[in-house]
Amino acid sequence: MAAADTNPKPTMRLDLKVLGPILALVVLVVIGAMMNGNFLSAGNITNVLSRSAFIGIIAVGMTFVITAGGLDLSVGSMAAFIAGLMILVMNGLLPVMGVGWPLVFVGMLTAIVAGTAAGFINGFLITNMRIEAFIVTLGTMGIYRSLVTWLADGGTLSLDFGMRAIIRPIYFDGILGISWPIIVFALVAILGEVVMRRGAFGRHAAAVGSNDQVARYSSVNVNRVRMMTYVGLGVLVGIATIMYVPRLGSASSSTGVLWELEAIAAVIIGGTMLKGGFGRVWGTVIGVLILSLIGNILNLTDGVSPYLNGAVQGVIIILAVILQRDKKAEG
Amino acid sequence: MKLTNSIGAFALAATLAMPAFAQDTKVIGVSIPAATHGWAGGMNFHAQQAVDRLEAVYPQLDFVLATASDPAKQVNDIEDMMATRNIDALVVLPFESEPLTSPVKAVADSGAWVTVVDRGLAIEGIEDLYVAGDNSGFGKVSGEYMVSAMPDGGKIVAFRGIPTSIDNERVAGFEAAIEGSGIEIIGMEHGNWNRDDSFVVMEDFLSKHEQIDAVWASDDDMAIGVLAAIEAAGRDDIKFVLGGAGMKEMIARTRDGDAMIPANVTYPPAMIATAIEMTAVGLTSTAPVSGTFVIGSVLITQDNAAEFYYPDSPF
Amino acid sequence: MTEPLALSLTKICRSFGPVQVLHDVDITLAAGEVHALIGENGAGKSTTMKIMSGYLAPTSGVVALNDAPVSFANSQDAEAQGVVLIHQEFNLAEQLSVEQNIFLGHEKKRGFLLDKAAMQAEALALLARLNCQVDPSARVSDIANADKQMVEIAKALSRNARVLIMDEPTAVLTEREAEVLFVQVERLKAEGVAILFTSHKLDEVKRISDKITILRDGHVVSQGPTSDYNEDQMAEAMVGRDVSSLYPERTVPVGSDIALEVKGLSVAEFAHDISFTLKKGEILGVSGLIGSGRTETMEGLVGLRSSTGEVRLNGEVVHLKSPQQAQKAGVCYLTEDRKSRGLLLTKGMRENLTLQCLPDFTNYLIDQKSEDAALTKAIEDFDIRAPSRDVAVGNLSGGNQQKLLIAKVMLADPDIVIIDEPTRGIDIGTKQQIYEFIHALSGQGKSIIVISSEMQEVIGLADRVLVMRMGRIAGEVSGDDLTEDKIVRLAMGLDVNKEEAA
Repeated sequence: MAAADTNPKPTMRLDLKVLGPILALVVLVVIGAMMNGNFLSAGNITNVLSRSAFIGIIAVGMTFVITAGGLDLSVGSMAAFIAGLMILVMNGLLPVMGVGWPLVFVGMLTAIVAGTAAGFINGFLITNMRIEAFIVTLGTMGIYRSLVTWLADGGTLSLDFGMRAIIRPIYFDGILGISWPIIVFALVAILGEVVMRRGAFGRHAAAVGSNDQVARYSSVNVNRVRMMTYVGLGVLVGIATIMYVPRLGSASSSTGVLWELEAIAAVIIGGTMLKGGFGRVWGTVIGVLILSLIGNILNLTDGVSPYLNGAVQGVIIILAVILQRDKKAEG
Repeated sequence: MKLTNSIGAFALAATLAMPAFAQDTKVIGVSIPAATHGWAGGMNFHAQQAVDRLEAVYPQLDFVLATASDPAKQVNDIEDMMATRNIDALVVLPFESEPLTSPVKAVADSGAWVTVVDRGLAIEGIEDLYVAGDNSGFGKVSGEYMVSAMPDGGKIVAFRGIPTSIDNERVAGFEAAIEGSGIEIIGMEHGNWNRDDSFVVMEDFLSKHEQIDAVWASDDDMAIGVLAAIEAAGRDDIKFVLGGAGMKEMIARTRDGDAMIPANVTYPPAMIATAIEMTAVGLTSTAPVSGTFVIGSVLITQDNAAEFYYPDSPF
Repeated sequence: MTEPLALSLTKICRSFGPVQVLHDVDITLAAGEVHALIGENGAGKSTTMKIMSGYLAPTSGVVALNDAPVSFANSQDAEAQGVVLIHQEFNLAEQLSVEQNIFLGHEKKRGFLLDKAAMQAEALALLARLNCQVDPSARVSDIANADKQMVEIAKALSRNARVLIMDEPTAVLTEREAEVLFVQVERLKAEGVAILFTSHKLDEVKRISDKITILRDGHVVSQGPTSDYNEDQMAEAMVGRDVSSLYPERTVPVGSDIALEVKGLSVAEFAHDISFTLKKGEILGVSGLIGSGRTETMEGLVGLRSSTGEVRLNGEVVHLKSPQQAQKAGVCYLTEDRKSRGLLLTKGMRENLTLQCLPDFTNYLIDQKSEDAALTKAIEDFDIRAPSRDVAVGNLSGGNQQKLLIAKVMLADPDIVIIDEPTRGIDIGTKQQIYEFIHALSGQGKSIIVISSEMQEVIGLADRVLVMRMGRIAGEVSGDDLTEDKIVRLAMGLDVNKEEAA
């Protein structure tokens, strides 16, 4: 064996691990374009990107949690709970503050604070109390889901109509024809990618997920890194909720059902390892787009029975992951 | 509303099911699905209200109310009521017909009174009283309204709920009613009685179809998602959206003359209250209440909307 | 046992990508012969063994069984033909019983059901043949290392192995356990099994092998009957230079200032009332049997475990409650377990090198240029040899991993370094380099604590040695008293002064 070169050589490797998700996305886009002429219209693209934003923003946070070796099943019901809380706070303060942007900002602040607190609770139970992440977040998942049902008295929490008109542009308007959810999703994704790839926090998260003992022996504050991934995810759930509430102006117990599984699926499709140790945010973004596109294409075409939508989605998820598997399974 | 009842059956059932009455406290179990969407939320509200009211009226009655998030949980609830609360009567709105049939039959076989609400069991004749919603009637009334509102025919998209027999009956009734009217269903997808899902499906329908004359949303939750998508797309080809089940906000808009929501079709969640009340009456008096009691679906338009607006209901 | 089998490699070459790791290797394993394959880490021993046992295919050259060329499709194919490799890390399912492990993957069946009686009987027979007393129904996680080794061999024999290849079979065994193994090796040899093994312990190579092949950088540099070599000759052939002076001479005198003073340090269950001092520039050895609390004491000192007691650095009391605090105070601990606590095996060298002091390379974002510069410097300073810079650390040889681990810890620039088992599982050439690094560090005025199970190592390296026994300091030896005998007596709890009594 020779000593390593002193200058790092840029190596060009076009392996499927990198190309897999991109390839799957390209194939889907081609299929969509062939099936329906409107698929590539600006309107449809805006629709798909905007509706991807909720799951997408959450999935970016989930990428860090999973990379650090954790899991969070509570994000869907957390989003529903935060949405409910945000609506209640805005409706409750309406007589005091009146309809207007100040009240919207109070609502936003509520969402962020509630998200931070919810993430902190998950993180605290997992790191300080040393309970399995799966169990903790399964528990909080049930808790938030029940809380929103309770807040809504079994029905639907609806934002005051006057406020709805004010807040609506947060989902539907934007700048230069790009809607706000898309802009926020893009910003979160870019920031996430930079932190994951170039930030000390991303490196530490990967180290903790790869082997928390090594991280501990290397003077990394393992608990703090873990905690921060959950808090970060909570904040992002809050941001996603800020984007969600303006769309329909309501929240109910059916809000955000199965978002957690979609977010986790997007993260894994994107090439992050479920057992932790390696994560990539850009992959997650592609995973989210793949999931949204499948639903969109199925709605735009007539060939497939709507009963089979879930099956088509399942097949494509599995294919996307097969494309990037490490090597042939042994044994 | 029509009452089809058979007094002979009642007399028999009454002697079997209530050997000793009015002496000691009787327990009525109420088992219903949890509030997972707007209609179910309303149904939960009415069930709770009925229980509160009847407990005050009839001191000799005790109520046990359980809500289940899936059929398996509902089976457990009913078994628990049998085993631990020794119920004298059961009012059940089955999550699904098949899995609930034999547990409910076991309750009936034990001699307790059984009232089934909304969807029937897989085997006929188990229940003493059946308070039914009329799903094919719901579809039929909706279809007939569509035909009358679009005399020259036109292109519509239709939204279905969660795949169940209820959904199938409604859609079949609707399709039969628009048969030969020149109305064409150019797209049909599941909106799962959910606002978000329906919003997304409607966005895609709008991308796919250049011209849509009307939408059969079939449910007011789904109608809300559909309306938001139409508004966001800024399309004016759609003349109206027909929801269903009579959510109070939507009734109010019909009453106030909103052109997009000219009508509604009832499928009252309060049918659970009717069922509980009739069961209570049956258990405490000799009034005949057994048989089948169908609560028909009624068309609501601006003319009669005020009668159907219940400000206190959450739905 | 059926007919004996001889395995030969002829002109075997093997490349991984552009890197050729084996060059025209010729080895013949004769039936009834014990063959030792020795060489430094990275010399190509593992690759050679993997080619013999079907885990890897050669790039060119011929593998032959009884002179008939074969090409194994995979390791199962090789096993079917009687060639079995026993890995250095035991390949046993810890939660299954001994018998279940022996028959794992080729269970005996009667109809659809397992034939437990037949397997029990055969397991007993196999273990008896190896003179091993372990109960076939014992759980593997409960038995001793030596017995695990025997179970591995029994497993190989149950597959009718006629060529047995063992990768460092004694690395995890105590001397007594190794003795037991050697007896069984002799027995198998007498039965006509062809055996090849690797080892870094040259005395044991000398004792039990009949023939030796020495590899260096993928070439066979020497081959012949064991009787032709003494240990020095083996070492020289392996390293390619004179290694007679393994331990460097002290060139800079030990300082007089006390860098570290520990008073009454206790770690629950493991260490009680530990007190010692460490001078600037001093190398302090810590010896003792495995389980005597050496590692736990030091982990308590740097905050990896909770501890009580007083710690003074340069005279000032400090509270080191976490490794972060210890590092900030200038105390770093280098783990004995580089694979599961020291390095991220799936990550590259750069990520591993800077993990310990990533904040130093971060200014909002990680400065990858300065990271690369640090790696370049570490590769130079510590002579780390890797096929490429972005290789996963798990693919480096043990010696290079250890060098990287030292480089990583030294990047934090500690004043006091605690090195636990600095040369475990490392070849002699790299050992020598690591000893030189340690001396160089002490020459720079850094204080060093070396924990080691190798008696020669603490004696050769340290200025002074603490001996631990059952969680307490049993004694301290230095100067002329620094002998193996003194340390063993202290470690075993014997009276130090009654040397003649033994």
